[in-house]
Amino acid sequence: MAPIITIKGLSKRYGDKVVLSNIDLEVNPGQIIGYIGPNGAGKSTTVKILCGIIQDYDGEVTVMGKNIREHVMEVKSKVGYIPELAELYDLLTPREYLTFIGKLYKLSDEVINDRSTKMLNSFGLLENIDQRMDSFSKGMRQKVLITSGLLHNPTIVFMDEPLSGLDANAVILVKELLQALKAEGKTIFYCSHMMDVVEKVSDRIILIDKGTIIADGTIEELKQNNSDNLEQIFSRLTSNGDFVQKADDLAAAMNDRNTHDLNSGI
Amino acid sequence: MNRLFLWLAMLPAPLWRILGADTDQLKAILDMRLMIDNRRPLGFGRRQAQKKDVKHGTLINTFMFTMMGCFYAMPVYLINDRVISMALYFTILLLMITLTLITDFSNALFDNRDKYTLFPRPISDRTLVLAKLLHVFIYVLRMVIPMSLAAWGSLAYLDGWKSAILFPVPLILMVFMALFAVNGVYLIILRLVQPEKFKDIISYFQVISSVIFFAIVYLRPKEMFSFNVNGTFLATDYQWVHYVPTYWLATYWTILGYPLTLGGSVLLSILGIILPLICIYVLVRWLAPEFSRKIAGIDGAEVSAPVAKSNGKKVKASNLYLVLANIFNRNEAAKAGFILAWLQTSRSRTFRMRVYPSYAFIPIYFIYLLTQGGSSISEALAALPGSSKFILLLYMSSYVLISGMNYLIVSDQYKAAWVFYASPVHSPGSIMIGSFKALCVKLFLPFFVAISLFTLWIWGWGVLPDICLAFLNVLLLSICMARISFRQLPFSSMEQAKQTGGKVIKSLMTMLIPFTLGIGHYFSIHIWWLKLTFVFLSSALLWLLWQSYTDTTWDNIRKEDA
Repeated sequence: MAPIITIKGLSKRYGDKVVLSNIDLEVNPGQIIGYIGPNGAGKSTTVKILCGIIQDYDGEVTVMGKNIREHVMEVKSKVGYIPELAELYDLLTPREYLTFIGKLYKLSDEVINDRSTKMLNSFGLLENIDQRMDSFSKGMRQKVLITSGLLHNPTIVFMDEPLSGLDANAVILVKELLQALKAEGKTIFYCSHMMDVVEKVSDRIILIDKGTIIADGTIEELKQNNSDNLEQIFSRLTSNGDFVQKADDLAAAMNDRNTHDLNSGI
Repeated sequence: MNRLFLWLAMLPAPLWRILGADTDQLKAILDMRLMIDNRRPLGFGRRQAQKKDVKHGTLINTFMFTMMGCFYAMPVYLINDRVISMALYFTILLLMITLTLITDFSNALFDNRDKYTLFPRPISDRTLVLAKLLHVFIYVLRMVIPMSLAAWGSLAYLDGWKSAILFPVPLILMVFMALFAVNGVYLIILRLVQPEKFKDIISYFQVISSVIFFAIVYLRPKEMFSFNVNGTFLATDYQWVHYVPTYWLATYWTILGYPLTLGGSVLLSILGIILPLICIYVLVRWLAPEFSRKIAGIDGAEVSAPVAKSNGKKVKASNLYLVLANIFNRNEAAKAGFILAWLQTSRSRTFRMRVYPSYAFIPIYFIYLLTQGGSSISEALAALPGSSKFILLLYMSSYVLISGMNYLIVSDQYKAAWVFYASPVHSPGSIMIGSFKALCVKLFLPFFVAISLFTLWIWGWGVLPDICLAFLNVLLLSICMARISFRQLPFSSMEQAKQTGGKVIKSLMTMLIPFTLGIGHYFSIHIWWLKLTFVFLSSALLWLLWQSYTDTTWDNIRKEDA
């Protein structure tokens, strides 16, 4: 089976800061890829490159057999991107916003209306479809954001922390959605800090730290003959500190501060 | 400057402690608030184009207020009757301070960050209330002191030191009345409208006040004061001043021996002392606490809005924007740009506040230009049919479009523009031309039609070809400016984006374009073949620039934040 995403020697730097360093990766279609790493590891940068948003990088990136540098528009039209922060034009209503997004993907009015109504209905937002999003909660915005990323029926979906701000029911819904999308043959590239969710939904987990892939495999392969869960694997591979000691240090620092504050009469 | 005000505010620290405030916290809160004030955009909707200006916000504001003060002080050095002149001066100052406070200070009063940064902290109510009162006091001082400098200096120069010493007393009492008026207006608005609508109402006040200010600046002298043929001020024309509280403040000058030409007695001076004191008492005793409760209500409404369906603004479903997007655009990306611009220009408070006043500025400025020869407004209007001033009016309409273009590219939500960079749009120019069309159809076309109808009514059907040429030229000018200065995606930039030197030069160069087009048109008014040539030339140029703007590539535009 030909890989749907191929990355060879991908590097990216911002000034002197190296964000991604010589990454090689292949992703097969129809998989859910859990892409995890500490803050600042380079997850979002990788996703932005794969979505064609960042085009200034070193190395070769092929998505659906197309070199992304040469066929960026074709790639963009077939991938869906759900960013970490729900930055929306929130003076618009979901209906208006999705109409606007649909036009960017050249969807007809009928398709936009039909899909957005059905998807918002699934998210329980249909009754809010004509309300301005400036009064929406974070979770409601996130649902609109997810809908906007899936509206054009993409082949690959890049999700950067899609569960951010969602309530427990919505989290379950999104997890089921991931499985449903996978069943339809879609590839999902899923970045998250929620290790338990990544562990449950991912076919393959890629761990990135300081711009380099440090672990890659199924959860069973990553466990390496011990009974660690993903959170423990993550901290073992990406942190060199003793968390108990760090927590003690923090508490001690706080106590020093309290003593000082009490002394100063505050 | 802030250091000085903070030092002054904290001078009576022992008194604040007696009142129950924590002076360390009080100082920290005030310091933070003054710092934020210093970094806020300037008043009257001015756009801060350069980041370095932000660092000197207080100084720039002080300079602007001083300049305004020079203008407000005109009655002091134009009118010899000291009591009348001071009454007019205090009336103007009271009006302007009240309007400025209503519009500008609402941003400081309703800073949402308070509920996250201050309310959860162990700060007593007394400290918070005192911090708010001192902040108001410093805010007003920063405005009133520079605004009154010109009048103060004029009084010292014209009347001598006694008048200068007297001046601060009625000034402070006038400030009390202004604070009373501001609180009163806020409370009335809060009583009449839903809390979440409050900021919209305030923004309309800002629009109105900027129009009033503009009108006063340009149309004031001839209409506001009447002088007889010898240029002497006619006090008897101003009997109404008798009943205005600011006149009562002005009667203090009778202490220095100035006559009360409009009559009255010492009773007016007593009223002038008692009324402001009553105002400040009512303010502290009832209005301020009531106001604080209402503000708390606004905070609460904002917090609870996300989940409560009834708090969400239900937008009346209308497909007009979709119909128009389909009529005016073939390309889907252009339709998207059209839709976004059409909707955002109605909903964005910032856009409305900055652009909508331009509709009023044009007639005001037109009348101002008409009356430059010394004639009155009615005389100038009567002389219109025999003139060619319709050219001026038609070309001035471009200000609406240019003003709209200026604010079409900026937004507080500029980060939401990530959708453009993630979507498969080959040419961002398609989106840009779509949003430009929305601006033309929605903001410019109705206004130009109204101006054209007025022009036809005054000058007759003979000027129809000129209207057509002016329409072409205004579009040409706008697309030219868009191509040079506004080559960005709609609502994709921070408002305070730094302007480069090159952009400033470009902007200055574009100022020459309307001038050249207007002059060209003016000289062709009576030469039909030259006019026809201009129509062809303008059409060709418009087509070329339109294509060039539509073909804008991703490399051509600046990514503010992908």
